[in-house]
Amino acid sequence: MALELSRIEDLKTDEMIINMGPQHPATHGVLRLILTLDGEVVKHVEPVLGHLHRAQEWQGQNRTWFQYQALIDRVDYLSGMFTSWAMARACEQLDGTVVPKRAEYLRVMLSEMNRITSHLLWLGTYLIDLGAMFGFPFYPFREREKLFDLFEEVAGQRMMFNYIRIGGVLRDPKPEWFAQLKKFTDEFPDRIDEYEAIVTQNPIFLDRTKGVGILNKQLAMDYGVTGPCIRSSGVELDLRKTKPYSVYPELDFKTIVTDHDGDTWDRYMARILEMRESNKIIQQCMAQIPDGDIIVKKQTAGLRVKAGEGFAAVESPRGIIGCYVTSTGGEKPFRFRWRNPSFCNLSILPELLVGSPISDIMAIFGSIDIILPDVDR
Amino acid sequence: MTDDANAKKEPAAEKVEAPLPPGQYGQFLKEHGINSERLADSCGVETISLDGSQLDAALRLLKSSSEIKLDLLLTVSGVDQIETFDSVYHLWSYSHTNELVVKVRVPKTAVKEGELPCVPTITGFWPAANWHERETYDLVGIRYSGHPYPRRILNPWDWDGHPLRRDYKQPVDALNDKNPHSMR
Repeated sequence: MALELSRIEDLKTDEMIINMGPQHPATHGVLRLILTLDGEVVKHVEPVLGHLHRAQEWQGQNRTWFQYQALIDRVDYLSGMFTSWAMARACEQLDGTVVPKRAEYLRVMLSEMNRITSHLLWLGTYLIDLGAMFGFPFYPFREREKLFDLFEEVAGQRMMFNYIRIGGVLRDPKPEWFAQLKKFTDEFPDRIDEYEAIVTQNPIFLDRTKGVGILNKQLAMDYGVTGPCIRSSGVELDLRKTKPYSVYPELDFKTIVTDHDGDTWDRYMARILEMRESNKIIQQCMAQIPDGDIIVKKQTAGLRVKAGEGFAAVESPRGIIGCYVTSTGGEKPFRFRWRNPSFCNLSILPELLVGSPISDIMAIFGSIDIILPDVDR
Repeated sequence: MTDDANAKKEPAAEKVEAPLPPGQYGQFLKEHGINSERLADSCGVETISLDGSQLDAALRLLKSSSEIKLDLLLTVSGVDQIETFDSVYHLWSYSHTNELVVKVRVPKTAVKEGELPCVPTITGFWPAANWHERETYDLVGIRYSGHPYPRRILNPWDWDGHPLRRDYKQPVDALNDKNPHSMR
């Protein structure tokens, strides 16, 4: 049946409400987006969180310090080192502990390795989100596996490390481990060149990402966005530089600020460049690492932290991950509060998506690089 | 580390009965006619307590003033203390390294039976607070008056109680032992 319309404006369209998720493959977990659509264009977005809520803060109040320490790697399972580190720093502040130099270097080294694995996973899955079904993810995952083998050797686990402990680190790696890591860092820049050769100037990739999901600087600051997302909008906020902690002042690296438009391509580029910087940091750490103790005092199950309250933050691959601890000196924490970068960065999503076509949703959403366990805790 | 040095001073400060002299930010707020009480520093960071009615004006000032510029709201957390409900704001800056902790304390005696402690929202001028306030409402049960969308965020909408309260009773079987008003 032919439909005749004299003018296109006469076409009456209704708004349509569509649920994206929680089982959508590209939401990296279980996020539900309630989309109000006008044809192809997004009019309103309401994210529904909580499908992965595991009551991490409640568990913090109901576990001993020692038990909880093993749990928090699961807050953000792709970058467990950073959650452990935030907690360790908060507790060390309360205790007034000075961590041995060797332990600090090991923390920096393993955290930067963790940053690389996290960005590599993002790179692989982001390309799938954009429709690159030709097997590209196997390239970054190849390097990721190599790093996981190294993690496994030193921490005993591939993802949930529980390696950074209050007052130091768990285990000292063997000399052969350093040799393996050295081999990895030597060849890794060439591998990044490989990814870049496939992706960076790929016309399809440019079409999907250039000028898409532009994140305005002021808007990002109002929403408390941190990490590569805000650095690619031109704000120089990198805790490792702006509020240096651990041994970062002794290391030479750059803060990556890609200040072109703040679009999804910039966020991609920021992470690629960050991986190169992380690689440099690891190389420097290996050259500079001193001998010595790796932990102040060997931990026992009766671990306690002095009374008081403190907030500590570290720069994770997704932004500032913070930990607000209130202790009464008892065997359990009084209150544990997480400041999760994914949670805060996700709150910008409704602003970013409005006005863009439905096909861009995953390009924008993926570029923020959130991880749902970190959002829902 | 300077943080450690300050942390050690903290117990000494607590013994002094007289109120602490206002710090940098307390002084700034005082000059603009906002009274705040200085609390013991948390790990070397200035901590002030404000009256709920002045929260909006104070945070607006701290955020937008060109000399202070505490424009990064890291988190809004709720703490169920022994005698009070605290709504805690961690303020950082995008351009400098100073920090400030602002607390609004609602005494438990001031909360009527069956009601929630009430703190004014700051979402109106600071969208970063939106989800944090929803979360604090959900988990600690502090009501942010004037919030544009005061719904639970992490728990299901029909969840009973606020899990991070000291007096929270866990459901025996969270799946089946549900709220009688629920439609699940």
